[in-house]
Amino acid sequence: MYRSKKAGMIGIIITIIILIAIVIFSNGDSENSFFENAASNLVMPIQNGLTYLKNKISGNNTFFTDINNLKEENKQLKQKNSELEQSLRELENIKTQNETLKEYLDLTEKYGEYKTIPGYVINKDISNYSKTIVINLGKKDGVEENMTVIGDQGLVGHITSVTDKTAKVQTIIDTASSVSCSMSTTKDSIVCKGTLDDKSSLKAMYIPIDANIIQGDSIETSGLGGIYPKGIHIGTVKKVTNTQNMTDRYAIVETAVNFEKLDTVLVITNQ
Amino acid sequence: MKKTIINIILIIIVLIIYLLQSNFFSWFTIADIMPNLFVILVLFIGLFSNRTMGTIYGLVIGLILDLVIGTKIGINSIGLGLIGFLAAVFDKNFSKDSRITIMVMAVVATAIFEILSYILNYIFISIQLEVINFVRILAIELIYNLILTIILYPLMQKFGYYMENEYKGNKILTRYF
Repeated sequence: MYRSKKAGMIGIIITIIILIAIVIFSNGDSENSFFENAASNLVMPIQNGLTYLKNKISGNNTFFTDINNLKEENKQLKQKNSELEQSLRELENIKTQNETLKEYLDLTEKYGEYKTIPGYVINKDISNYSKTIVINLGKKDGVEENMTVIGDQGLVGHITSVTDKTAKVQTIIDTASSVSCSMSTTKDSIVCKGTLDDKSSLKAMYIPIDANIIQGDSIETSGLGGIYPKGIHIGTVKKVTNTQNMTDRYAIVETAVNFEKLDTVLVITNQ
Repeated sequence: MKKTIINIILIIIVLIIYLLQSNFFSWFTIADIMPNLFVILVLFIGLFSNRTMGTIYGLVIGLILDLVIGTKIGINSIGLGLIGFLAAVFDKNFSKDSRITIMVMAVVATAIFEILSYILNYIFISIQLEVINFVRILAIELIYNLILTIILYPLMQKFGYYMENEYKGNKILTRYF
């Protein structure tokens, strides 16, 4: 029991504030920006005023007008230069984007031979240790167990159980999932398993001793194992970790699909 | 009559917690880890009602979770049922009037539930064992549950004693003498 009601309420309010603070600070910049904006809006007018005052005092000297002009010109040229550099960078971006878009076109052509049904993610797991999702397709839509589920960027997972109108999908980032894959350049076969560590990466294990694993290489399903068809994009190699034994070295694979924002999926019905 | 009302309220609480857990706590997280309010709820039911009710509520809530989102039926069910049973044991041995004991109970119950369900998952669906990551997630989850218990404590106590009077009779005084 609380000794007094007031003290108890204060304790609870402080706890709530601490909880909100922990949640905000532990989740990186995305939630931070609102508070950053608020803080900068508070400070900005004062800072602007001070800067204006300082400029007024230092720029008021008529003796150095020429220098000031030169400075101004220099500034403008620098700005123009940076603008030009910016546009160059943009052009480069567009170039790479063009290439990736061409790749995607190939990808869709590759997926074209499969018959797919589109569906929505209607429920996500409430536990920290498994990553199952539920989609709004069921037996009535022709979905059956062990069918492959893909997103617009790559593999999502496979169906573990079906009801009339919903189906549970075990995603590839679930710790119970392991996918047989191959690297696109060297065609070495590896096994990708889900980890508890991260919601967007897989652990690639059983890398052959003589295999040469390259950072940035794209990973596809190999078609072994019977569930996933061949040639579906999974992700790219992010990091290779060498251990003392060559046999248990592993690589971290970043998934192409963003599982946090996943909302539409396709179920492949003919394999 | 009062018991029916209490049960209806508990079912509504289960629905609210499910909605919170699947929507609100999926983004209101500490370092991407969500809390587990179901454990706190079952612990609370077990503490303030009798053993049968705690266990049955644990089993039923667990079964619903298994059916809706789980991979193998029984894992959540067994875990939450055990928590309901354990809560009655806690009730016999510890005082519920102290905030500290309730906090410790919540932490212990969450730890037991998560460790048990992890082991069951390891046995039945052969997940990959990652002890260090598991301990890290568990630690954050325990802290989150602890904070939530502190916030929810007055509410739990108010509703809890109302429920206890109905299920056990007014034993609050006799217990200490």
